[in-house]
Amino acid sequence: MPRFDTLNPARMVWDGPAPAPEEAVLEYTRELEKFLAEIERRAFRMAQVGLRDPDDALDAVQDAMLKLARNYASRPSAEWRPLFYRILENGIRDMQRRRSVRKRIMTWLPSAKEDPDHEAQDPLDNVADSAPPIPEVLMQGQAMQQLEVSLRALPARQREAFMLRNFEGLDVAETARAMGCSQGSVKTHYSRAVHALREQLGEVW
Amino acid sequence: MNEQLPGEPRDSFEERSRALFHESVDGLDFALRSRLTQARNAALEAAAARRTPWFSRIGVLAPAGVTAAAVLGAFLWLGSPLSQHAVTVADGQSNLEDLELVASADEGSGDAMDMLQDDIEFYDWAEKAANSGPAASS
Repeated sequence: MPRFDTLNPARMVWDGPAPAPEEAVLEYTRELEKFLAEIERRAFRMAQVGLRDPDDALDAVQDAMLKLARNYASRPSAEWRPLFYRILENGIRDMQRRRSVRKRIMTWLPSAKEDPDHEAQDPLDNVADSAPPIPEVLMQGQAMQQLEVSLRALPARQREAFMLRNFEGLDVAETARAMGCSQGSVKTHYSRAVHALREQLGEVW
Repeated sequence: MNEQLPGEPRDSFEERSRALFHESVDGLDFALRSRLTQARNAALEAAAARRTPWFSRIGVLAPAGVTAAAVLGAFLWLGSPLSQHAVTVADGQSNLEDLELVASADEGSGDAMDMLQDDIEFYDWAEKAANSGPAASS
């Protein structure tokens, strides 16, 4: 039975059996697994909204899981959600940047410019297609598809704020931690996102 | 602005978009769910491999260290320069005796020559065995 020294609260110490270090590691590994299992599908869909491609989205989610498990597993579990989404958003942004650079390079390649026969085989035709290659199985009706298209049209920060606040249910403080900005910025981004989406989808919905 | 308390009614647009998103999450197919599970397991395994705490490593390394120290101590004791020196001296004496034997044979000592002739077949076999390597000795 754990006992505390009640005479001097400043010196209160745990007097019970200390948990074995291995047990402690196992405990937070189990907790982390539970957390990842609970979050992974939503994270995947959010990554897919940003990246379009399911394979890229899966890569981004796996990378975020790995980084969280490696670097932040020992942090209090209450911090995991904003940390995870911060890692995920950084990964999504990196992938988008790489795509953008690739697109610029492909545009400047002499073979692509000079040889008109190559135009039809330009890989960018597939990458920058405005119609998202979402498998039928992932579509939950016309409305969700329209919402995704509208979300992609938003500036990245507004999209992040909207998805974290509305889809993931983070509060303003957690969203601010996930986005690495102030709570005021979160409120501004979110408000603008809702306004823009409502304007775009109001008539359709 | 959009700070809402739990239970507070949300904007219908936000409610609808949230519901649509969660429906799409629930509609993920089995193959994707399986890939996500694999990704999660891979991440946890990789992290567990790296996260092995230093104190548990000490628990494994301490007995290994004691064993290594014991082996090193035994090696130093048994294979010390003193014992090697003793062996060298003994070998040196044996070599000296051999030299004397050969020298006396060179001088035509009768005893030595007789001994060689008696065992000439043995020495012949020993020479062949030595020249043909370890396989011949068996």
